[in-house]
Amino acid sequence: MPTLIIDHQKISVPEGTKVIEAAEKLGIMIPRFCYHPALGSLGACRMCAVKFLEGPVKGVEMSCMTDAADGMVVSTTDPEAVEFRRYVIEWLMLNHPHDCPVCDEGGQCLLQDETVSGGHGLRRYQGLKRTYEDQYLGEFVQHEMNRCIHCWRCRRFYQDFAGYLDYGAMQNGNRMYFGRFEPGPLESPFAGNIIDLCPTGVLTDKPARYQGRRWDFQRGPALCLHCSLGCNLVGNARYRQMIRMEGRFNDAVNGYFICDRGRFGFAYANHPDRPRKARVGEKEVSLAEALQTAAQRLAQISDQYGSGAVAGWGSPRSSLETLGALQWLSRRQGWAEPRFFPHPSLERQVKVAISRLETGIAVSLRDLEKSDFILVAGADPVNEAPMLALALRQAWRRGATVAVIDPRPVFLPFEFEYLPVSPGVIDLCLDLLSKAALSADAAEGRLDPEAAGFYRLLTDEYPENPVSQDRLAALGRKLAECRNPVIVCNTDIVRDTTPGRAADHVRLLKAAKGRAGLFYLLPGPNAFGAAMLSAPEAVDLVEAIENGSVKALLIVENDPFRSYPDRERLTRALDNLELLVVLDYLPSATVARAQVFLPTATVFEKEFSHYVNQEGRLQQTAPLHQSGTPISQVGGGTHPPRTFLEFIPGGEPRPAAEILTALADALTEGEGDPAEGDLWGWLSRQHEAFHRLAALPEVEPDAGVRLLPEEGAVGAFSPEPWTKPGEPPTGQLELLLVDQTFGTEELAGYSAYIQKVEEEPHLLLHADLAADLGLAAGDLVALHLPGGEVTVRLKTALRMAPLVAILPRHRRLDWQKVYGWPTWIAPDRIKKL
Amino acid sequence: MAEQVLLLNRQTDRPLSFDEYRKSGGYEALMATLGSRTPAEVRQIVLDSGLRGRGGAGFPTGRKWSFIGKEHPRYLVPNTDEMEPGTFKDRVLVNVNPHLVLEGIILSAYAISAAKGIFFIRPSYEMDAELIERELAVAREARLLGNNILGSDFSFDLLVHRSAGRYICGEATAQVNAIMGRRPHPNKEVHMTDEGLWGKPTIVNNVETLACVPHILQKGPEWFKALARSHGGAGTKLYCVSGRVTRPGCYELPIGTPLCEIIAEAGGLSPGSELKAFLPGGASTSFMPKKFLEVEMDFEPLKATGNRLGTGAIIVFDQNTCLVGATLNLINYFARESCGFCTPCREGLPFIRDLLRRLENGEGKEEFIPMLKQMAHHMSKAYCAFAPGAASPLLGLLNHFEAEIQEHISQRQCPLKSLE
Amino acid sequence: MSNLPPELKEKLEAQISHSEHPREQVINIMYALQKHYGYLSDEAVRQAATLLDMNPLEIEELATFYDFIYRQPVGKFVIHVCDGLVCWMFHEGSVFDYLCKKLGVCAGEVTADGLFTVLPTACLGYCDHAPAMLINGVFYGSLTPEKIDDILEKLRREFCDLIICR
Repeated sequence: MPTLIIDHQKISVPEGTKVIEAAEKLGIMIPRFCYHPALGSLGACRMCAVKFLEGPVKGVEMSCMTDAADGMVVSTTDPEAVEFRRYVIEWLMLNHPHDCPVCDEGGQCLLQDETVSGGHGLRRYQGLKRTYEDQYLGEFVQHEMNRCIHCWRCRRFYQDFAGYLDYGAMQNGNRMYFGRFEPGPLESPFAGNIIDLCPTGVLTDKPARYQGRRWDFQRGPALCLHCSLGCNLVGNARYRQMIRMEGRFNDAVNGYFICDRGRFGFAYANHPDRPRKARVGEKEVSLAEALQTAAQRLAQISDQYGSGAVAGWGSPRSSLETLGALQWLSRRQGWAEPRFFPHPSLERQVKVAISRLETGIAVSLRDLEKSDFILVAGADPVNEAPMLALALRQAWRRGATVAVIDPRPVFLPFEFEYLPVSPGVIDLCLDLLSKAALSADAAEGRLDPEAAGFYRLLTDEYPENPVSQDRLAALGRKLAECRNPVIVCNTDIVRDTTPGRAADHVRLLKAAKGRAGLFYLLPGPNAFGAAMLSAPEAVDLVEAIENGSVKALLIVENDPFRSYPDRERLTRALDNLELLVVLDYLPSATVARAQVFLPTATVFEKEFSHYVNQEGRLQQTAPLHQSGTPISQVGGGTHPPRTFLEFIPGGEPRPAAEILTALADALTEGEGDPAEGDLWGWLSRQHEAFHRLAALPEVEPDAGVRLLPEEGAVGAFSPEPWTKPGEPPTGQLELLLVDQTFGTEELAGYSAYIQKVEEEPHLLLHADLAADLGLAAGDLVALHLPGGEVTVRLKTALRMAPLVAILPRHRRLDWQKVYGWPTWIAPDRIKKL
Repeated sequence: MAEQVLLLNRQTDRPLSFDEYRKSGGYEALMATLGSRTPAEVRQIVLDSGLRGRGGAGFPTGRKWSFIGKEHPRYLVPNTDEMEPGTFKDRVLVNVNPHLVLEGIILSAYAISAAKGIFFIRPSYEMDAELIERELAVAREARLLGNNILGSDFSFDLLVHRSAGRYICGEATAQVNAIMGRRPHPNKEVHMTDEGLWGKPTIVNNVETLACVPHILQKGPEWFKALARSHGGAGTKLYCVSGRVTRPGCYELPIGTPLCEIIAEAGGLSPGSELKAFLPGGASTSFMPKKFLEVEMDFEPLKATGNRLGTGAIIVFDQNTCLVGATLNLINYFARESCGFCTPCREGLPFIRDLLRRLENGEGKEEFIPMLKQMAHHMSKAYCAFAPGAASPLLGLLNHFEAEIQEHISQRQCPLKSLE
Repeated sequence: MSNLPPELKEKLEAQISHSEHPREQVINIMYALQKHYGYLSDEAVRQAATLLDMNPLEIEELATFYDFIYRQPVGKFVIHVCDGLVCWMFHEGSVFDYLCKKLGVCAGEVTADGLFTVLPTACLGYCDHAPAMLINGVFYGSLTPEKIDDILEKLRREFCDLIICR
């Protein structure tokens, strides 16, 4: 631990710390542009110059390029260093346009700050400034090159950190230009991060352009709700409208960055058709009236059919507050247990997954970067949870092997091992890999008895699928050598057995190597929380409606028309329902059908909300404004009406938990105790993890806290014996319904910004299969699913599992025509139109 | 004439052929060395000889070789990028005796156990690239290149890599980036001798340096040291002389020869020209006035005057050349060639250029002088040696010829223009 | 996007596949395509990217860095006029200006007959024959206006198949 003195202050830091970082720990922010903690030191801008007075380095040198060393004495205020830095900023400002008044970066601009702090005020350069033409870079990132100070951050992030190659540095000298080969959308789903990184206004948030300066915005820590990773954001609101999101640093989850879905998906909160008024039937009523009506009708159903005839149906996009309130209300009223998932099999899978995570093996997204072998089972990171792809790349950059076992033509921005297998074969592959990797450990008795027993039962039959024995064996050898493996397992598209099997293999690997990690992808930002709260038995509510046991549904922040696999069956069931009460903030099909509708607030409005991410990390998102129709919408595009109101237009929506509590009041008319204020107390009685939370020391609210049980608290291997997945019916294709980066996630699908970049949905078949069927890429085909026909264009690929048909759950496709999983279709059910 | 080593048997209008070279003792050093000396011994001999890099930096060659890392394959990169203004010695050398250059390369590769050589050459020397390629084929056929050279265990082959033209490619780490198909920005964080080309141990040497090696091995380090005129110097040097001299050209003289003698070798000043200033070692060195005329042209003696030997390319200026204009020309060159990586070079050089332009156009102001002094000084804190090199002539102008700048300011024009 | 003539495509593919490190061939491929198309056009950049399995942007990052890769159309003869220090000293009224006036073009433009483009370049390495210029790999030194006229005339007449910007 070298000890050094910076500006008369002593500090000891770990070996390898740069002087600039050591200074930061002392609260001294040495000016910098090209240095960034995630991107490392570059030494290009020369802004971080300090004077080394004593020690192994002497004179003016760059603090970001110099390792802290014993005996160093550093001065940031030495006149020589100060003068040098003043020149650097003068040089950087030589060609900088006088754009501050019209530049969105103003007020949060590193260049502004360092021009002032650098002591440069008067222009001495009297020459012409060099100018550039700007490029169209897509719908997300605005480009204004005249402002560029050539700090290299954007290129380093785009190419080195994120691995995409369509943006870079052209020309030389002071004509250097950062852009694309030709105008066009940036291909990387992480492109938005260059907005955060750019220290001036070259790259700014295009959707948020000209809508305000930092000091105009209501800002607060937010969470991304567009997948289960739970990346941290900073939300910006103004005039009752969500304007933009920025990445927020979290050392355990997302580091400094976020993906574009998270950055631009928030605009569902501003949707012009967002339902803000309570309704009874077609008629708009006050919230109080709607509550009364709902309460009356729910009570009526209870009286007539028994309280078990009412069921609540939430979803993993809701906060713990919402799900907890729904469950509390249901139990209080004696209703059927509320469900929080679109269908039981998904619920079961998520429950298995979370039951197997414990502190000793759960890894966070950032932990993944330190693994040396990552096996990705049944996941397509870029399409499902993009930040996972970014984390995998960082692991690869450090020398890790990444292997993906998945039927889809998975793309990752780096080289990885790829085994194209159907979901039914994934378990087998896991077995075969472990068998190959741990044969020595097993033979030499290094496994404990339980692990050895599990090892003996592993399958060693190679599947007929085109996964060569050689490749599996080679991968197995790599796995044998690694010391810190992680298995990433999905809960979408994989068989019911796979999440548990993956956990078993992690147990086995840990037994052999002393260290192994488990990482799940879950279906929604609060799927973990939803599974924690769900009652043990998974029940199909649609079935319950069909058999008459459920007569009324209270659907909370959930759109089964989007997520339930068989829309016709759902429609019939809802037609037969006696009462449908819906709470939501989206203009969904379910909301349209509601007999009583109660508008809820989004997470950006009114109250704090808590979510548990896929790793069991409890995090909170703060409200940013008090709800209401955005002023820009109230005015219909011009100035809002110049009348004074005593209420906020469109301000009726309330947090779902608040509405549910009010519903409880309305149902029992003053009897019983209100739950408000004690929701967390109630939650802590529902689940061990929340109970433990109360005992934890003060937690930094912005960092989040893991809710997992201690190491070893969970059982070793799956208690139930593993059943080998059945043989697929000969010649049939497995239909896989999948996610895409843009277009399938529900909330982002309502964001005007995401809608602009959604790709046309396609049916994806293996090129050889398509050729056999007389089909070619680009053909318009009718896909005959069990529940009906889907018209879609065909796309083909060579690098994918051969006997699958892949269809995205795109919001513009009527894919909800399947009956269950797996769904098999005969190839001739795909016909050219 | 002084003893010719590198330019021995120079023909006026054509390169020395393979046979001619063999006849005069060519490749004997290689044959002798492969049979009897280990690479470590060769390295020691070169270290003892005091040979210093002739590409501009002057780093002791034997010492550079001693740092070579342990991994394989290793690379030797002969550097013929030669874009330093005033410098053309490498072109001349390759044209006079390509096989001496090749033998030097092969021996040096042997010294560092390199299996591959990448001959890096600038685009304006395309003719010479083809010459080298032709002679490479000849050497291969004679089993002097390729697998098992002369039947020994040593295998080494060389290919020619054509640059697409940028001064910064002459810098070793940038050159390696260029060869790897990357933007040729320098990279000070990598140690070439451990992780250079394709992540493997690499040595980049100027071709004049490499061409000294066969003679050193044949005649010994003491012989090489004895060739020098200066105390502590070693070997001969190819001095390019251009500018206002009667016979501009490339002259081989003992290293440490006083400058006035080199100019005499080039026929002295052109008729009507009086020496006003000179650059001793190419554009990255400082202007020196007449009083330094007798400086010994070697690394240490020049360093003692606050200047550098650089490439030993002497440019002579007479009373008719405006030094402000000359500095402006050089700064413009450097600003154009800047790779653009770091701020002082990318933005500072154009700023300096603007100030010099104004001075030259008669719009100069007194306050420019301290600005120029400070900026020239701060160039030393740029990322690589390019910017400090660019600042050298400016520093020379400010140190020794400030009067000329003052005249521009007070006369509100270039004083030499008024004579026309 | 039109295809390269098969022989050229094969030759370049062979060059790349025989190289231990394909990326080492980037400049050679750019030179070859530049020769074929007359300059490194957008199409040439895309072709290079396809051949080398790189993104066109990566090719562009290199192509726009270098002096001898022409991303704009150039004449059959590219006249690189040295405006380095020594040549500048000997210019007697700039060689560069003389050429531009004589040919009726500005820097980088192509003459109407498609034959010549004039570009300033610094220090060609021909300082002992200052002032100098380089045309398609051949040096011309000790220039005077008369000599320049002769050279241009010779180039026009003989249409020599000189090395075209490799």
